[in-house]
Amino acid sequence: MPFLKTSRDGELFLDHSASPGLPPGIAQRMDLPPELVGEGGRMHAATLGCPHCGGVVLLNPMRKRARANCFKCNAYICDGCAFVASQPDYLHRTFAEVAELVRSGKWTVSGPTCNPILTPVEK
Amino acid sequence: MAKRLFFASQSFTAQAYASILTDGTHMSMVGGSTTQMTDVLECLISGRDVSSVVSAMQLCRSTGTIAATFTALASPNSDGPMVPATAALTAAVSTFVAATTKPQASNTITDAKLNLGLNTFGGILRWNAAPTQQWQMLGQATGFGCTILFNASAAGGNTCLANAHIMYETY
Repeated sequence: MPFLKTSRDGELFLDHSASPGLPPGIAQRMDLPPELVGEGGRMHAATLGCPHCGGVVLLNPMRKRARANCFKCNAYICDGCAFVASQPDYLHRTFAEVAELVRSGKWTVSGPTCNPILTPVEK
Repeated sequence: MAKRLFFASQSFTAQAYASILTDGTHMSMVGGSTTQMTDVLECLISGRDVSSVVSAMQLCRSTGTIAATFTALASPNSDGPMVPATAALTAAVSTFVAATTKPQASNTITDAKLNLGLNTFGGILRWNAAPTQQWQMLGQATGFGCTILFNASAAGGNTCLANAHIMYETY
């Protein structure tokens, strides 16, 4: 089924139309574009889920750096998962695959979500 | 297999990552079984401060000891199905703002944190996930199995008053 690249976008709507909004310094510290979140501002930004860790990332509309893509998933992945994926001992596993292993009852999962540790269940 | 809404109206005290979160200042969810999956589909935060307060609300994973022995929600906080005909799950997700063993927000650099910062003096924030792009929980262990909405002091947050809801679906 054909789809637009943006059809996977979630939406974050931040309405400061009746609020002093975020001061520029604080907005930058929060990785939010100051020009959109200040007094009277309204920001619509896309969010995407990360197929590796099951998290969601707010796409800063002003970001200049490249975003990571997983060619095995053919999808955007978050910066944390991109870092883990760049490590030499990385083993590609999506959140759905990890969930399937855990739901089989043969594995338990622990550790950070970007780099899960799967432990076999002893019987 | 039904969407539910977890609502809280409270003060969100700004707190550090990997610190024991004070009761009544966060919204947390822990899976109902070791294999249960839950999708978080929407968050809405509407500020109700009477002067300018910058809050650094974040949806994040947990670290340290997993929260346990949850205190039942008290009015006006609530958690209920969006469809009245919904049958109760055998092992429902635990939603809570207070617990004996309290949650701790993850400080792991590679754990996802969804930035929901706003000015709670008149500010409103709503996040909706697109289908297949939702925030996911798996099981009931630290990390994958616990999701926390809290106000991060390390990200510049100050203690604020807000109403918030989290829409989620377990399957």
